Amino acid sequence: MSLSSKEYFIRETGKSIKRNGIMSFASVSTVAVSLLVLGLFLLMYLNTDNLAKYLEGQVEMTVYLEDTATGEEVAEMREKLKKMEGVVQVTEVTKAMAMERFKNRLGDQATLLKALGKDNPFPFSFEVQVDRPERIKALVSQVEHWPKVETAKFGQEVVEHLFALTKVMRIGGAVLIVFLCFATLFIIINTIRLTVFARRREVVIMKYVGATDWFIRWPFLLEGMTLGLGGAIIACAVVDLIYVSLSGRLHTTFAFFPVLPSWPTLLYADIFILACGTLIGALGSYLSLKKFLRV
Amino acid sequence: MLEMTDVSKTYPGGNVALRNINVRIEQGEFVFIVGPSGAGKSTFIKLLFREVLPTSGTIRLNDVDILNLTAKEVPYLRRQLGIIFQDYRLLPDRTVYDNVAFAMQVIEAPYRKIKRRVMNVLDLVGLRRRAYSKPNELSGGEQQRIAIARAIVNSPSLVIADEPTGNLDPETSMEIMEIFQEINNTGTTIIMATHDKEIVDSMGKRVIAIEHGEIVRDELNGVYGYESEQ
Repeated sequence: MSLSSKEYFIRETGKSIKRNGIMSFASVSTVAVSLLVLGLFLLMYLNTDNLAKYLEGQVEMTVYLEDTATGEEVAEMREKLKKMEGVVQVTEVTKAMAMERFKNRLGDQATLLKALGKDNPFPFSFEVQVDRPERIKALVSQVEHWPKVETAKFGQEVVEHLFALTKVMRIGGAVLIVFLCFATLFIIINTIRLTVFARRREVVIMKYVGATDWFIRWPFLLEGMTLGLGGAIIACAVVDLIYVSLSGRLHTTFAFFPVLPSWPTLLYADIFILACGTLIGALGSYLSLKKFLRV
Repeated sequence: MLEMTDVSKTYPGGNVALRNINVRIEQGEFVFIVGPSGAGKSTFIKLLFREVLPTSGTIRLNDVDILNLTAKEVPYLRRQLGIIFQDYRLLPDRTVYDNVAFAMQVIEAPYRKIKRRVMNVLDLVGLRRRAYSKPNELSGGEQQRIAIARAIVNSPSLVIADEPTGNLDPETSMEIMEIFQEINNTGTTIIMATHDKEIVDSMGKRVIAIEHGEIVRDELNGVYGYESEQ
Protein backbone atom coordinates (compact mmCIF):
# COMPACT_ATOMS: atom_id res chain seq x y z
CA MET A 1 0.00 0.00 0.00
CA SER A 2 1.56 3.30 -1.06
CA LEU A 3 1.67 6.44 1.04
CA SER A 4 -0.76 8.27 -1.20
CA SER A 5 -3.22 5.39 -0.79
CA LYS A 6 -3.03 5.67 2.98
CA GLU A 7 -3.69 9.39 2.73
CA TYR A 8 -6.55 8.64 0.40
CA PHE A 9 -8.11 6.16 2.87
CA ILE A 10 -7.86 8.54 5.79
CA ARG A 11 -9.26 11.43 3.75
CA GLU A 12 -12.15 9.29 2.51
CA THR A 13 -12.93 8.11 6.03
CA GLY A 14 -13.01 11.65 7.38
CA LYS A 15 -15.16 12.87 4.51
CA SER A 16 -17.60 10.03 4.88
CA ILE A 17 -18.06 10.49 8.62
CA LYS A 18 -18.64 14.20 8.08
CA ARG A 19 -20.95 13.64 5.14
CA ASN A 20 -23.05 11.22 7.17
CA GLY A 21 -22.89 13.47 10.23
CA ILE A 22 -26.22 12.56 11.77
CA MET A 23 -25.91 8.87 11.01
CA SER A 24 -22.38 8.81 12.38
CA PHE A 25 -23.55 10.54 15.53
CA ALA A 26 -26.45 8.12 15.88
CA SER A 27 -24.26 5.08 15.48
CA VAL A 28 -21.59 6.35 17.87
CA SER A 29 -24.36 6.89 20.42
CA THR A 30 -25.91 3.46 19.93
CA VAL A 31 -22.53 1.80 20.13
CA ALA A 32 -21.79 3.81 23.26
CA VAL A 33 -25.06 2.77 24.90
CA SER A 34 -24.68 -0.88 24.09
CA LEU A 35 -21.02 -0.99 25.08
CA LEU A 36 -22.02 0.81 28.27
CA VAL A 37 -24.45 -1.98 29.08
CA LEU A 38 -21.81 -4.48 28.09
CA GLY A 39 -19.19 -2.81 30.27
CA LEU A 40 -21.47 -2.55 33.29
CA PHE A 41 -22.48 -6.13 32.92
CA LEU A 42 -18.87 -7.16 32.61
CA LEU A 43 -18.06 -5.40 35.87
CA MET A 44 -21.09 -6.95 37.55
CA TYR A 45 -20.00 -10.34 36.30
CA LEU A 46 -16.40 -9.84 37.42
CA ASN A 47 -17.63 -8.82 40.86
CA THR A 48 -20.05 -11.72 41.28
CA ASP A 49 -17.34 -14.02 40.10
CA ASN A 50 -15.02 -12.46 42.61
CA LEU A 51 -17.63 -12.79 45.35
CA ALA A 52 -18.26 -16.39 44.43
CA LYS A 53 -14.57 -17.16 44.50
CA TYR A 54 -14.27 -15.35 47.79
CA LEU A 55 -17.12 -17.36 49.29
CA GLU A 56 -15.81 -20.55 47.79
CA GLY A 57 -12.46 -19.75 49.30
CA GLN A 58 -14.22 -19.46 52.65
CA VAL A 59 -15.22 -23.04 52.50
CA GLU A 60 -13.75 -24.97 55.36
CA MET A 61 -14.41 -28.03 57.43
CA THR A 62 -14.26 -28.20 61.17
CA VAL A 63 -12.84 -31.30 62.87
CA TYR A 64 -13.96 -31.67 66.50
CA LEU A 65 -11.76 -33.80 68.74
CA GLU A 66 -12.70 -35.87 71.75
CA ASP A 67 -11.59 -34.40 75.06
CA THR A 68 -9.43 -37.44 75.65
CA ALA A 69 -7.04 -36.55 72.87
CA THR A 70 -3.55 -35.89 74.22
CA GLY A 71 -1.24 -33.09 73.13
CA GLU A 72 0.82 -35.55 71.14
CA GLU A 73 -2.21 -36.92 69.33
CA VAL A 74 -3.34 -33.39 68.52
CA ALA A 75 0.05 -32.51 67.05
CA GLU A 76 0.13 -35.70 65.04
CA MET A 77 -3.34 -35.07 63.69
CA ARG A 78 -2.43 -31.53 62.70
CA GLU A 79 0.50 -32.81 60.64
CA LYS A 80 -1.69 -35.47 59.07
CA LEU A 81 -4.34 -32.91 58.11
CA LYS A 82 -1.75 -30.58 56.63
CA LYS A 83 -0.44 -33.32 54.38
CA MET A 84 -3.87 -34.13 52.94
CA GLU A 85 -4.44 -33.16 49.34
CA GLY A 86 -6.23 -29.87 48.82
CA VAL A 87 -5.72 -28.63 52.37
CA VAL A 88 -4.59 -25.03 52.33
CA GLN A 89 -4.50 -24.13 55.96
CA VAL A 90 -5.09 -25.76 59.33
CA THR A 91 -5.98 -23.57 62.30
CA GLU A 92 -6.21 -24.88 65.85
CA VAL A 93 -9.05 -23.70 68.04
CA THR A 94 -8.40 -24.69 71.61
CA LYS A 95 -11.17 -25.21 74.13
CA ALA A 96 -10.37 -21.86 75.69
CA MET A 97 -10.44 -20.06 72.34
CA ALA A 98 -13.79 -21.63 71.50
CA MET A 99 -15.15 -20.42 74.81
CA GLU A 100 -13.80 -16.94 74.15
CA ARG A 101 -15.49 -16.82 70.75
CA PHE A 102 -18.75 -17.91 72.22
CA LYS A 103 -18.49 -15.24 74.86
CA ASN A 104 -17.89 -12.62 72.23
CA ARG A 105 -20.85 -13.78 70.25
CA LEU A 106 -23.10 -13.59 73.30
CA GLY A 107 -21.90 -10.08 74.01
CA ASP A 108 -24.03 -8.53 76.77
CA GLN A 109 -25.44 -11.88 77.73
CA ALA A 110 -22.01 -13.41 78.43
CA THR A 111 -22.91 -13.57 82.13
CA LEU A 112 -25.06 -16.59 81.29
CA LEU A 113 -21.84 -18.57 81.00
CA LYS A 114 -21.28 -18.26 84.72
CA ALA A 115 -23.78 -21.07 85.11
CA LEU A 116 -21.22 -23.39 83.57
CA GLY A 117 -18.79 -22.83 86.41
CA LYS A 118 -15.32 -24.07 85.56
CA ASP A 119 -16.58 -26.55 83.01
CA ASN A 120 -15.74 -25.87 79.39
CA PRO A 121 -18.09 -27.87 77.19
CA PHE A 122 -16.48 -26.76 73.97
CA PRO A 123 -14.34 -29.33 72.21
CA PHE A 124 -10.91 -28.76 70.76
CA SER A 125 -11.17 -28.32 67.00
CA PHE A 126 -9.25 -27.80 63.78
CA GLU A 127 -10.54 -25.41 61.16
CA VAL A 128 -9.33 -26.76 57.87
CA GLN A 129 -9.28 -24.54 54.74
CA VAL A 130 -9.57 -26.37 51.47
CA ASP A 131 -8.62 -25.10 48.02
CA ARG A 132 -11.74 -26.34 46.20
CA PRO A 133 -15.17 -26.84 47.71
CA GLU A 134 -15.80 -30.07 45.84
CA ARG A 135 -12.94 -31.73 47.78
CA ILE A 136 -14.57 -31.25 51.14
CA LYS A 137 -17.04 -34.13 51.02
CA ALA A 138 -14.29 -36.68 50.50
CA LEU A 139 -12.09 -35.15 53.18
CA VAL A 140 -14.86 -35.14 55.72
CA SER A 141 -15.74 -38.78 55.24
CA GLN A 142 -12.08 -39.69 55.61
CA VAL A 143 -11.35 -37.64 58.69
CA GLU A 144 -14.56 -38.71 60.47
CA HIS A 145 -13.20 -42.18 60.95
CA TRP A 146 -9.92 -41.18 62.54
CA PRO A 147 -9.45 -42.15 66.19
CA LYS A 148 -10.16 -39.40 68.70
CA VAL A 149 -12.23 -37.48 66.19
CA GLU A 150 -15.66 -36.67 67.50
CA THR A 151 -17.13 -35.36 64.24
CA ALA A 152 -16.08 -33.54 61.10
CA LYS A 153 -18.53 -31.01 59.68
CA PHE A 154 -18.93 -28.63 56.80
CA GLY A 155 -21.72 -26.40 55.48
CA GLN A 156 -22.66 -28.86 52.79
CA GLU A 157 -25.88 -27.28 51.60
CA VAL A 158 -24.54 -23.76 51.53
CA VAL A 159 -21.51 -24.82 49.56
CA GLU A 160 -23.51 -26.76 47.05
CA HIS A 161 -26.03 -23.99 46.51
CA LEU A 162 -23.32 -21.46 46.14
CA PHE A 163 -21.54 -23.65 43.70
CA ALA A 164 -24.66 -24.02 41.56
CA LEU A 165 -25.28 -20.28 41.72
CA THR A 166 -21.79 -19.26 40.63
CA LYS A 167 -21.95 -21.74 37.79
CA VAL A 168 -25.22 -20.27 36.55
CA MET A 169 -23.78 -16.77 36.85
CA ARG A 170 -20.67 -17.64 34.94
CA ILE A 171 -22.55 -19.32 32.09
CA GLY A 172 -25.33 -16.74 32.08
CA GLY A 173 -22.78 -13.94 32.11
CA ALA A 174 -20.84 -15.34 29.21
CA VAL A 175 -24.06 -15.84 27.22
CA LEU A 176 -25.22 -12.30 27.93
CA ILE A 177 -21.86 -10.84 26.92
CA VAL A 178 -21.93 -12.75 23.64
CA PHE A 179 -25.49 -11.62 23.07
CA LEU A 180 -24.64 -7.97 23.69
CA CYS A 181 -21.64 -8.23 21.37
CA PHE A 182 -23.93 -9.48 18.64
CA ALA A 183 -26.44 -6.71 19.27
CA THR A 184 -23.68 -4.12 18.96
CA LEU A 185 -22.39 -5.80 15.83
CA PHE A 186 -25.85 -5.66 14.35
CA ILE A 187 -26.10 -1.92 14.97
CA ILE A 188 -22.73 -1.27 13.34
CA ILE A 189 -23.57 -3.46 10.36
CA ASN A 190 -26.70 -1.44 9.77
CA THR A 191 -24.99 1.92 10.09
CA ILE A 192 -22.15 1.02 7.78
CA ARG A 193 -24.65 -0.50 5.38
CA LEU A 194 -26.25 2.93 5.18
CA THR A 195 -22.96 4.62 4.42
CA VAL A 196 -22.08 1.93 1.92
CA PHE A 197 -25.51 2.31 0.40
CA ALA A 198 -25.01 6.06 0.15
CA ARG A 199 -21.75 5.38 -1.66
CA ARG A 200 -22.76 2.35 -3.69
CA ARG A 201 -22.24 4.22 -6.99
CA GLU A 202 -18.71 4.90 -5.94
CA VAL A 203 -18.18 1.26 -5.00
CA VAL A 204 -19.53 0.09 -8.35
CA ILE A 205 -17.38 2.56 -10.27
CA MET A 206 -14.36 1.52 -8.27
CA LYS A 207 -15.01 -2.07 -9.27
CA TYR A 208 -15.31 -1.08 -12.94
CA VAL A 209 -12.04 0.81 -13.00
CA GLY A 210 -10.23 -2.13 -11.44
CA ALA A 211 -9.94 -1.38 -7.72
CA THR A 212 -9.17 -4.42 -5.61
CA ASP A 213 -11.68 -5.40 -2.95
CA TRP A 214 -9.29 -4.46 -0.19
CA PHE A 215 -8.76 -1.00 -1.66
CA ILE A 216 -12.51 -0.47 -1.63
CA ARG A 217 -12.86 -1.92 1.83
CA TRP A 218 -10.27 0.11 3.73
CA PRO A 219 -12.09 3.44 4.00
CA PHE A 220 -15.25 1.65 5.17
CA LEU A 221 -13.32 -0.46 7.65
CA LEU A 222 -11.65 2.64 9.02
CA GLU A 223 -15.02 4.33 9.26
CA GLY A 224 -16.53 1.40 11.15
CA MET A 225 -13.52 1.21 13.45
CA THR A 226 -13.64 4.94 14.13
CA LEU A 227 -17.34 4.82 14.97
CA GLY A 228 -16.81 1.75 17.16
CA LEU A 229 -13.85 3.31 18.93
CA GLY A 230 -15.71 6.60 19.41
CA GLY A 231 -18.64 4.82 21.02
CA ALA A 232 -16.28 2.75 23.12
CA ILE A 233 -14.47 5.81 24.49
CA ILE A 234 -17.76 7.34 25.62
CA ALA A 235 -18.84 4.02 27.13
CA CYS A 236 -15.52 3.70 28.99
CA ALA A 237 -15.83 7.15 30.50
CA VAL A 238 -19.37 6.51 31.73
CA VAL A 239 -18.60 3.00 32.98
CA ASP A 240 -15.59 4.27 34.93
CA LEU A 241 -17.57 7.07 36.51
CA ILE A 242 -20.43 4.78 37.52
CA TYR A 243 -18.12 2.13 38.91
CA VAL A 244 -16.01 4.47 40.97
CA SER A 245 -18.99 6.16 42.60
CA LEU A 246 -20.95 2.93 43.08
CA SER A 247 -18.10 0.90 44.53
CA GLY A 248 -17.34 3.69 46.99
CA ARG A 249 -20.93 3.66 48.17
CA LEU A 250 -21.08 -0.14 48.38
CA HIS A 251 -17.93 -0.14 50.44
CA THR A 252 -19.37 2.14 53.07
CA THR A 253 -22.71 0.33 53.21
CA PHE A 254 -21.56 -3.29 53.16
CA ALA A 255 -18.06 -3.44 54.50
CA PHE A 256 -17.91 -7.22 54.14
CA PHE A 257 -18.77 -7.19 50.43
CA PRO A 258 -15.57 -7.79 48.51
CA VAL A 259 -15.82 -5.15 45.74
CA LEU A 260 -13.02 -5.35 43.17
CA PRO A 261 -10.78 -2.26 43.37
CA SER A 262 -11.09 0.31 40.53
CA TRP A 263 -7.44 -0.19 39.68
CA PRO A 264 -6.69 -2.38 37.78
CA THR A 265 -10.23 -3.73 37.26
CA LEU A 266 -11.35 -0.69 35.28
CA LEU A 267 -8.22 -0.83 33.15
CA TYR A 268 -9.13 -4.35 32.06
CA ALA A 269 -12.76 -3.40 31.52
CA ASP A 270 -11.75 -0.34 29.46
CA ILE A 271 -9.35 -2.33 27.31
CA PHE A 272 -12.07 -4.89 26.75
CA ILE A 273 -14.63 -2.23 25.79
CA LEU A 274 -12.24 -0.39 23.46
CA ALA A 275 -11.12 -3.59 21.78
CA CYS A 276 -14.72 -4.74 21.47
CA GLY A 277 -15.85 -1.43 19.93
CA THR A 278 -13.04 -1.31 17.39
CA LEU A 279 -13.27 -4.96 16.46
CA ILE A 280 -17.02 -4.92 16.17
CA GLY A 281 -16.75 -1.78 14.04
CA ALA A 282 -14.33 -3.42 11.65
CA LEU A 283 -16.27 -6.66 11.51
CA GLY A 284 -19.54 -4.81 10.95
CA SER A 285 -18.09 -2.88 8.00
CA TYR A 286 -16.60 -6.01 6.54
CA LEU A 287 -19.88 -7.86 6.71
CA SER A 288 -22.03 -5.05 5.36
CA LEU A 289 -19.68 -4.55 2.41
CA LYS A 290 -19.76 -8.17 1.39
CA LYS A 291 -22.90 -7.88 -0.67
CA PHE A 292 -21.88 -4.67 -2.41
CA LEU A 293 -18.52 -5.98 -3.51
CA ARG A 294 -20.05 -8.68 -5.66
CA VAL A 295 -20.10 -6.71 -8.91
CA MET B 1 -6.86 -9.37 -28.97
CA LEU B 2 -10.36 -10.64 -28.26
CA GLU B 3 -11.52 -14.11 -29.12
CA MET B 4 -14.91 -15.57 -28.19
CA THR B 5 -15.47 -19.22 -28.94
CA ASP B 6 -18.88 -20.91 -28.77
CA VAL B 7 -20.07 -18.51 -26.10
CA SER B 8 -23.62 -18.98 -24.85
CA LYS B 9 -25.40 -17.34 -21.98
CA THR B 10 -28.64 -18.47 -20.43
CA TYR B 11 -29.85 -16.45 -17.46
CA PRO B 12 -31.30 -18.21 -14.45
CA GLY B 13 -34.94 -18.66 -15.34
CA GLY B 14 -34.16 -19.91 -18.81
CA ASN B 15 -33.87 -16.65 -20.73
CA VAL B 16 -31.34 -17.30 -23.49
CA ALA B 17 -29.33 -14.11 -24.07
CA LEU B 18 -26.57 -15.38 -26.36
CA ARG B 19 -26.20 -18.52 -28.42
CA ASN B 20 -22.96 -19.88 -29.89
CA ILE B 21 -21.15 -16.62 -30.36
CA ASN B 22 -17.86 -16.84 -32.24
CA VAL B 23 -16.00 -13.57 -32.70
CA ARG B 24 -12.43 -12.44 -33.26
CA ILE B 25 -11.48 -8.82 -32.87
CA GLU B 26 -7.95 -7.62 -33.60
CA GLN B 27 -5.95 -4.97 -31.79
CA GLY B 28 -6.79 -1.50 -33.09
CA GLU B 29 -10.21 -2.37 -34.51
CA PHE B 30 -13.28 -0.21 -34.07
CA VAL B 31 -16.37 -2.42 -33.84
CA PHE B 32 -20.04 -1.55 -33.50
CA ILE B 33 -22.41 -4.06 -31.92
CA VAL B 34 -25.93 -3.41 -33.22
CA GLY B 35 -29.29 -5.12 -32.98
CA PRO B 36 -32.81 -4.65 -31.66
CA SER B 37 -33.43 -4.10 -27.95
CA GLY B 38 -33.15 -7.30 -25.97
CA ALA B 39 -31.12 -9.03 -28.68
CA GLY B 40 -28.18 -9.66 -26.34
CA LYS B 41 -25.96 -6.64 -27.00
CA SER B 42 -25.73 -5.72 -23.34
CA THR B 43 -24.93 -9.26 -22.31
CA PHE B 44 -22.23 -9.35 -24.98
CA ILE B 45 -20.69 -6.16 -23.57
CA LYS B 46 -20.94 -7.34 -19.97
CA LEU B 47 -19.14 -10.59 -20.79
CA LEU B 48 -16.10 -8.58 -21.81
CA PHE B 49 -15.41 -7.18 -18.37
CA ARG B 50 -16.67 -10.19 -16.48
CA GLU B 51 -19.75 -8.60 -15.05
CA VAL B 52 -21.56 -11.61 -16.47
CA LEU B 53 -20.11 -15.09 -16.88
CA PRO B 54 -21.19 -17.18 -19.89
CA THR B 55 -22.93 -20.50 -19.44
CA SER B 56 -20.48 -22.11 -21.86
CA GLY B 57 -17.66 -21.21 -24.22
CA THR B 58 -14.34 -19.41 -23.81
CA ILE B 59 -13.34 -15.76 -23.93
CA ARG B 60 -9.70 -14.83 -24.42
CA LEU B 61 -8.54 -11.26 -24.03
CA ASN B 62 -4.92 -10.45 -24.87
CA ASP B 63 -4.28 -14.21 -24.73
CA VAL B 64 -5.68 -14.55 -21.24
CA ASP B 65 -8.63 -16.82 -20.59
CA ILE B 66 -10.73 -14.35 -18.64
CA LEU B 67 -13.19 -16.99 -17.48
CA ASN B 68 -10.47 -18.74 -15.53
CA LEU B 69 -9.52 -15.68 -13.51
CA THR B 70 -10.00 -15.79 -9.76
CA ALA B 71 -12.05 -13.09 -8.09
CA LYS B 72 -8.76 -11.50 -7.00
CA GLU B 73 -7.50 -11.27 -10.57
CA VAL B 74 -10.61 -9.62 -12.00
CA PRO B 75 -9.57 -6.09 -10.92
CA TYR B 76 -6.32 -6.50 -12.89
CA LEU B 77 -8.30 -7.53 -15.97
CA ARG B 78 -10.45 -4.43 -15.65
CA ARG B 79 -7.39 -2.20 -15.45
CA GLN B 80 -6.68 -3.11 -19.07
CA LEU B 81 -10.18 -2.01 -20.02
CA GLY B 82 -11.97 1.30 -20.21
CA ILE B 83 -15.69 1.02 -19.65
CA ILE B 84 -18.22 3.68 -20.67
CA PHE B 85 -21.94 3.59 -19.94
CA GLN B 86 -24.97 5.35 -21.35
CA ASP B 87 -25.66 7.00 -17.98
CA TYR B 88 -22.03 8.21 -17.54
CA ARG B 89 -21.79 6.89 -13.92
CA LEU B 90 -19.96 9.88 -12.51
CA LEU B 91 -19.58 10.88 -8.88
CA PRO B 92 -21.70 14.01 -8.54
CA ASP B 93 -19.95 15.33 -5.44
CA ARG B 94 -16.51 15.40 -7.05
CA THR B 95 -14.98 17.72 -9.59
CA VAL B 96 -14.29 16.71 -13.17
CA TYR B 97 -10.63 16.35 -12.27
CA ASP B 98 -11.38 14.13 -9.27
CA ASN B 99 -13.75 11.94 -11.25
CA VAL B 100 -10.99 11.18 -13.71
CA ALA B 101 -8.17 11.00 -11.15
CA PHE B 102 -10.29 8.56 -9.16
CA ALA B 103 -9.61 5.81 -11.71
CA MET B 104 -5.88 6.28 -11.20
CA GLN B 105 -6.11 6.58 -7.42
CA VAL B 106 -7.85 3.26 -7.06
CA ILE B 107 -5.09 1.48 -8.91
CA GLU B 108 -2.64 3.27 -6.63
CA ALA B 109 -0.81 5.33 -9.24
CA PRO B 110 1.74 7.83 -7.90
CA TYR B 111 0.33 11.28 -7.21
CA ARG B 112 2.60 13.21 -9.62
CA LYS B 113 1.83 10.87 -12.44
CA ILE B 114 -1.91 11.21 -11.78
CA LYS B 115 -1.86 14.99 -12.09
CA ARG B 116 0.04 15.03 -15.36
CA ARG B 117 -1.92 12.23 -16.95
CA VAL B 118 -5.38 13.52 -15.91
CA MET B 119 -4.64 16.93 -17.39
CA ASN B 120 -3.48 15.34 -20.63
CA VAL B 121 -6.62 13.26 -20.91
CA LEU B 122 -8.86 16.22 -20.09
CA ASP B 123 -7.09 18.05 -22.91
CA LEU B 124 -7.88 15.21 -25.27
CA VAL B 125 -11.62 15.34 -24.49
CA GLY B 126 -11.61 19.14 -24.44
CA LEU B 127 -12.48 19.63 -20.77
CA ARG B 128 -9.23 21.02 -19.38
CA ARG B 129 -10.85 24.35 -18.64
CA ARG B 130 -13.73 22.68 -16.76
CA ALA B 131 -11.45 20.56 -14.61
CA TYR B 132 -12.71 22.05 -11.35
CA SER B 133 -16.43 22.11 -12.13
CA LYS B 134 -18.86 19.56 -10.78
CA PRO B 135 -20.42 17.15 -13.30
CA ASN B 136 -23.95 18.50 -12.85
CA GLU B 137 -22.77 21.95 -13.92
CA LEU B 138 -21.94 20.49 -17.33
CA SER B 139 -24.03 19.33 -20.28
CA GLY B 140 -24.75 15.69 -21.07
CA GLY B 141 -22.14 15.62 -23.79
CA GLU B 142 -19.55 17.07 -21.46
CA GLN B 143 -20.45 14.57 -18.77
CA GLN B 144 -19.95 11.73 -21.23
CA ARG B 145 -16.56 13.21 -22.06
CA ILE B 146 -15.63 13.00 -18.38
CA ALA B 147 -16.61 9.33 -18.45
CA ILE B 148 -14.50 8.82 -21.58
CA ALA B 149 -11.56 10.56 -19.96
CA ARG B 150 -11.93 8.33 -16.92
CA ALA B 151 -12.09 5.23 -19.13
CA ILE B 152 -8.89 6.00 -21.01
CA VAL B 153 -6.85 7.59 -18.25
CA ASN B 154 -5.16 4.27 -17.42
CA SER B 155 -4.30 3.70 -21.11
CA PRO B 156 -6.44 0.59 -21.61
CA SER B 157 -5.90 -1.66 -24.59
CA LEU B 158 -9.64 -2.05 -25.06
CA VAL B 159 -12.40 0.53 -24.60
CA ILE B 160 -15.89 -0.89 -24.15
CA ALA B 161 -18.82 1.46 -24.56
CA ASP B 162 -22.45 0.55 -23.94
CA GLU B 163 -24.72 3.03 -25.76
CA PRO B 164 -22.43 5.99 -25.04
CA THR B 165 -24.53 8.40 -27.11
CA GLY B 166 -27.91 7.04 -26.00
CA ASN B 167 -28.73 10.17 -23.99
CA LEU B 168 -27.21 12.72 -26.36
CA ASP B 169 -28.47 14.77 -29.31
CA PRO B 170 -27.11 13.94 -32.80
CA GLU B 171 -24.67 16.82 -32.95
CA THR B 172 -23.16 16.08 -29.57
CA SER B 173 -23.07 12.40 -30.48
CA MET B 174 -20.92 13.16 -33.49
CA GLU B 175 -18.52 15.14 -31.31
CA ILE B 176 -18.26 12.22 -28.93
CA MET B 177 -17.58 9.89 -31.85
CA GLU B 178 -14.74 12.13 -32.96
CA ILE B 179 -13.16 11.60 -29.57
CA PHE B 180 -13.60 7.84 -29.89
CA GLN B 181 -12.01 8.01 -33.33
CA GLU B 182 -9.05 9.87 -31.88
CA ILE B 183 -8.65 7.24 -29.17
CA ASN B 184 -8.87 4.53 -31.81
CA ASN B 185 -6.19 6.31 -33.86
CA THR B 186 -3.72 5.73 -31.02
CA GLY B 187 -4.16 1.97 -31.47
CA THR B 188 -6.77 1.38 -28.78
CA THR B 189 -9.42 -1.18 -29.69
CA ILE B 190 -13.00 0.04 -29.34
CA ILE B 191 -16.11 -2.09 -28.99
CA MET B 192 -19.32 -0.09 -28.88
CA ALA B 193 -22.90 -1.23 -28.54
CA THR B 194 -25.23 1.33 -30.07
CA HIS B 195 -28.71 2.08 -31.38
CA ASP B 196 -27.52 5.14 -33.27
CA LYS B 197 -28.03 4.61 -37.01
CA GLU B 198 -26.47 7.92 -38.03
CA ILE B 199 -23.26 7.19 -36.22
CA VAL B 200 -22.85 3.66 -37.48
CA ASP B 201 -23.63 4.61 -41.05
CA SER B 202 -21.34 7.62 -41.08
CA MET B 203 -18.32 5.99 -39.46
CA GLY B 204 -17.99 3.05 -41.85
CA LYS B 205 -16.56 0.62 -39.30
CA ARG B 206 -16.93 -3.09 -38.70
CA VAL B 207 -20.49 -3.88 -37.66
CA ILE B 208 -21.62 -7.01 -35.81
CA ALA B 209 -25.39 -7.44 -35.66
CA ILE B 210 -26.94 -9.60 -32.95
CA GLU B 211 -30.53 -10.82 -33.11
CA HIS B 212 -32.16 -13.27 -30.73
CA GLY B 213 -28.78 -13.95 -29.18
CA GLU B 214 -27.05 -14.90 -32.40
CA ILE B 215 -24.68 -13.07 -34.72
CA VAL B 216 -26.62 -12.51 -37.93
CA ARG B 217 -24.20 -10.19 -39.67
CA ASP B 218 -20.53 -9.27 -39.37
CA GLU B 219 -19.23 -6.89 -42.02
CA LEU B 220 -16.33 -4.52 -42.41
CA ASN B 221 -17.48 -1.07 -43.49
CA GLY B 222 -20.92 -2.08 -42.33
CA VAL B 223 -24.11 -0.11 -41.85
CA TYR B 224 -26.66 -0.05 -39.08
CA GLY B 225 -29.16 -1.99 -41.16
CA TYR B 226 -32.28 -1.30 -39.09
CA GLU B 227 -34.83 1.46 -39.26
CA SER B 228 -33.79 4.28 -36.98
CA GLU B 229 -35.60 3.97 -33.68
CA GLN B 230 -35.55 7.66 -32.90
